[in-house]
Amino acid sequence: MDELTLLENYLIVGALLFGIGLVGFFSRRNMIVMFLSAEMMLQGVSVSLVAWGRYHNDWGGQMLVIFILTVAACEAAIALAVVLTLFHKKGSLDIAIWQQLREENQPLYVESQMLQLPAEPEAHWPRLTPAGVEPEPDLEEVTHRTHL
Amino acid sequence: MNQVLAVIGCATVLLAVGMWLSLPRGRAWGRSLGWVLVAASVGLLASQVPLVGDWASASVFFVLAAVTVLAAVATVTFRSPVYAAIWFGLSLLGTAGLFLFQGAQFLGVATVVVYAGAILVTFLFVLMLAQPKGQAPCDQTSWAAPLSALTGALVVGILTLTVVSVFQNPTMENRPRAALELTVLENEILAEQHVAHLGAQLFSKHLVAVEVAGTLLLVALVGTVAIVSQIRRPDEWRGQSHG
Repeated sequence: MDELTLLENYLIVGALLFGIGLVGFFSRRNMIVMFLSAEMMLQGVSVSLVAWGRYHNDWGGQMLVIFILTVAACEAAIALAVVLTLFHKKGSLDIAIWQQLREENQPLYVESQMLQLPAEPEAHWPRLTPAGVEPEPDLEEVTHRTHL
Repeated sequence: MNQVLAVIGCATVLLAVGMWLSLPRGRAWGRSLGWVLVAASVGLLASQVPLVGDWASASVFFVLAAVTVLAAVATVTFRSPVYAAIWFGLSLLGTAGLFLFQGAQFLGVATVVVYAGAILVTFLFVLMLAQPKGQAPCDQTSWAAPLSALTGALVVGILTLTVVSVFQNPTMENRPRAALELTVLENEILAEQHVAHLGAQLFSKHLVAVEVAGTLLLVALVGTVAIVSQIRRPDEWRGQSHG
């Protein structure tokens, strides 16, 4: 198998993964999807590194990918902790809620392009005949869920 | 050269328009058209590179690459974050296949176990903890979708153009032919004892880095617990306004 061709193909796949992740990170507003896109950019870099390592017969590329895996795990843990904290403060994953953190000369993002999509049809779930004693509602569960 | 430039330019424009159409914009029209345009752009890019080996290995590579890239597009463009996470899992499986195709066995398995098995499941857990009921408005629109699609497509176009033009340059015949002329015995990465060699390298040459990575994991663990334990309990929370 021609090593040079292999390298060229893998570099292009890596570039595509990186670019698609970039688009997602810039444009999506859900914080979790933004972090998924960041992980996808890491994947693009990993693909390129493995290809270079194979081409040069050097272990350095694969070693770097192992450490990228480690750092990605740390990043995901901390990022998700921060996302959970932010969600508990405002009750939404929307990053636009936090736009008062933007630079001073940046314009305010106003929700302008929102259209009302047709509502999803009501799901018809089967109903069972109630039997037995109705359980006491869990007070903590009820108070915790109402703000969602 | 001009032809290559034209094809890659077309692919860049198609990718930009396709990504813009398929990103959530609060409208339903054009999403399928966007996916078709993105697939056409990926096909154009693929037409600019030579085939890998014979047709059998080339088809294996192209199937893996297509699964990886198209699942990545679906990750970015699907409105529901749960679907996005599942598509990201498929993209990871494709990447693991690409690693295996390169002979990087350990990395292929580690990607499936660590990424798809642990990180992705953590994402899904947080989605279940934090997902409001129904489709949130923030999932239906995007920030500056045309501009970011253009940026990403330009990055892809410039990188691809660089790679293709460098590799098609006739003076490249004088490049350092590192792995090309190795015999089977000299080639460590494709040796039968691949994982053993990898472990030997990892724990000899990169031992300090392993220790640092372990410390980093510990610090991240402590930091995560510290951050999450600051979330106040619901009964303390109730008295305040939210929104």
